[in-house]
Amino acid sequence: MILKLAVRNIIGNGWRSLVNVLILSIVLIGMVWMQGLFDGWSRTARRQMQEWEFGDGHYEHKDFDKYDSFTWDKSNSKIPAELQSLIEQGKAVPILISAGVIYPQGRLTPITIKGIPHDQEILEIPTEYLRVEDQTGIILPAVIGTRMARSTHLEEGDILTMRWKDIHGAYNAYDIQITKIMDTPVPPVDDSQVWVDFTHLNEAKALQNSATHIVLKDDSDIVKNEQDFRFITIDESMQGTDALIDVKRLSGNLLFALLLFLAMIAIFDTQILAIFKRRREIGTMIALGMTKRQIVKLFTIEGCLYSVFAAVATSILGLPLFIYFGVSGYKIPQEMSNLSIAGTAEPIKCYYSPSMLLSTFILVLLITALASWMPTYRIARMKATDALLGKV
Amino acid sequence: MTESLVKIRNLSKLYPTGGGGFLALSELDLDIPSGAFMGLVGPSGSGKTTLLNIIGTLDNQSGGEIEVLGHKVSTLDAKESAALRAEKIGFIFQSYNLLPVYTVYENVELPLLLLKMPKAQRHEAVMQALTWVGITDKRKSRPNQLSGGEGQRVSIARAMVKLPQLVLADEPTANLDTENSLNILDTMLQINKDTGTTFIFATHDQKVIDYMQRVVTLIDGKKAKDDLKTGS
Ligand SMILES: Nc1ncnc2c1ncn2[C@@H]1O[C@H](COP(=O)(O)OP(=O)(O)OP(=O)(O)O)[C@@H](O)[C@H]1O
Ligand SMILES: [Mg+2]
Repeated sequence: MILKLAVRNIIGNGWRSLVNVLILSIVLIGMVWMQGLFDGWSRTARRQMQEWEFGDGHYEHKDFDKYDSFTWDKSNSKIPAELQSLIEQGKAVPILISAGVIYPQGRLTPITIKGIPHDQEILEIPTEYLRVEDQTGIILPAVIGTRMARSTHLEEGDILTMRWKDIHGAYNAYDIQITKIMDTPVPPVDDSQVWVDFTHLNEAKALQNSATHIVLKDDSDIVKNEQDFRFITIDESMQGTDALIDVKRLSGNLLFALLLFLAMIAIFDTQILAIFKRRREIGTMIALGMTKRQIVKLFTIEGCLYSVFAAVATSILGLPLFIYFGVSGYKIPQEMSNLSIAGTAEPIKCYYSPSMLLSTFILVLLITALASWMPTYRIARMKATDALLGKV
Repeated sequence: MTESLVKIRNLSKLYPTGGGGFLALSELDLDIPSGAFMGLVGPSGSGKTTLLNIIGTLDNQSGGEIEVLGHKVSTLDAKESAALRAEKIGFIFQSYNLLPVYTVYENVELPLLLLKMPKAQRHEAVMQALTWVGITDKRKSRPNQLSGGEGQRVSIARAMVKLPQLVLADEPTANLDTENSLNILDTMLQINKDTGTTFIFATHDQKVIDYMQRVVTLIDGKKAKDDLKTGS
């Protein structure tokens, strides 16, 4: 019954209601778009990192610490038999990691050398360029990413010296040739990384079939006897990236928190004015037998209805926008794509999950409910006889 | 004599004002039997509206006792008095107090919505009430599209639609021409006879006073005269 009255009041209030509904739906559209963008970013980043870096989860040597390159020589082990058999079936790919330096244009540049089998087909890295054609006077083929190429001014075909220590601490040097500059959307596969063939890196390190990482194609292939390795799920691998995206999300949300706050003030204001202008009406409703509680409820529901109507308006007005950004995607501005976060290289397709839509709507609903309820304390203070006469 | 619908004993009303308060009603005793058709008259400021508000449980007395429809008003809480008004008391205001965003039909329907009456029944009752006041053709209009008299008739229809036991009317004909006033008074008198609804009017209007079976005159918040007319 009260809902029916509230709907009548809102519709009867005409363009004033329309303005509130429009403001709210602009806020809603913005919030949904923003959330969709960041959720889409996270999904894109996840997909790209699966394709380029982590597969469907990976084994990592238990001693590996990616921030401490001095330990890397100790953080590899001979590949356990079960994993070796997966690798042979094409269901896993080993990666050996070593620290090293190169001297492009004579400048010493610390790098991470990663050995990966040239015939793997699990990760997107163009490892076919790592095949060593000439086994005699060896020049090791190497692949780097575009960002690495830009920072070192290297080009395809360049030959340069790469130095590293083998596990006994003896320095070694190889000539490497850049056979491919790959375009990868995943910065950790690119920045300071030099990719070479797995077997040759093992040899050069005086190791035999040892790996630091073993990437799985399918996480249902988890093995029983993993020995020195531990399995890291894709979710765990994504934590750092998601945290970075959430930082961006926070600053984006700040804008909409502000807009939402303004919308809240607008509704609060409308309510105060409405309660003042409609005090005769309030008196009349009391005379007709409504309790003050019912009237407070009526005004609060009226306020909440703004967000319900706004949700409807949003789904109509916002739909073309949502579809456009969901299908064509949104290209993150350049200054953001310089961040070392995956997912920025291609347009991000906004992703609108039901739980995101629902939680955004509920947030807006709660805030409008609050904004429309707070001013009703004036109703509780009103005297029916005064209200009837239009006195406060 | 029938049982008292309204029973007032030594009633007083003190409005809090700057200089110690204003005594709007005092030493008032009144019994109004069920089925009465009576008027409260008196000069402006004599306390008519104040008394109607107290009878209608919209305001509290300052002293004395008042019983309305079998309830001691001072013992009712907000919810109980709201229910009493919703079910049994109809108000007609001098300034109509129609809800501006509702149509005429919706205004008249509102008291029935509060009683949670089913839709079909509601429709019938609303149309009946609009017919009594002769305004069915304006049922889709909004209050601001009505003349003063039309607005007053809608407010009468709204008070009557639930067939309350008690109707409190404050200057109901102040904005009506003679013909309309007489029509409406006839209608109300007819309803009074048919259903036994009790009507209490506050009025200056001689046309209204002529219709009353009983006229109570207030002067300075005290009962000055209580005339029972015979023959009507
Ligand atoms: N809220 C109030 N505060 C103070 N005094 C009030 C208040 N309401 C009414 N009064 C005073 O009480 C007296 C009675 O007022 P009331 O409205 O009952 O008169 P009335 O008989 O209805 O007059 P009228 O014929 O002009 O409508 C008046 O003198 C008025 O000034
Ligand atoms: Mg009056």
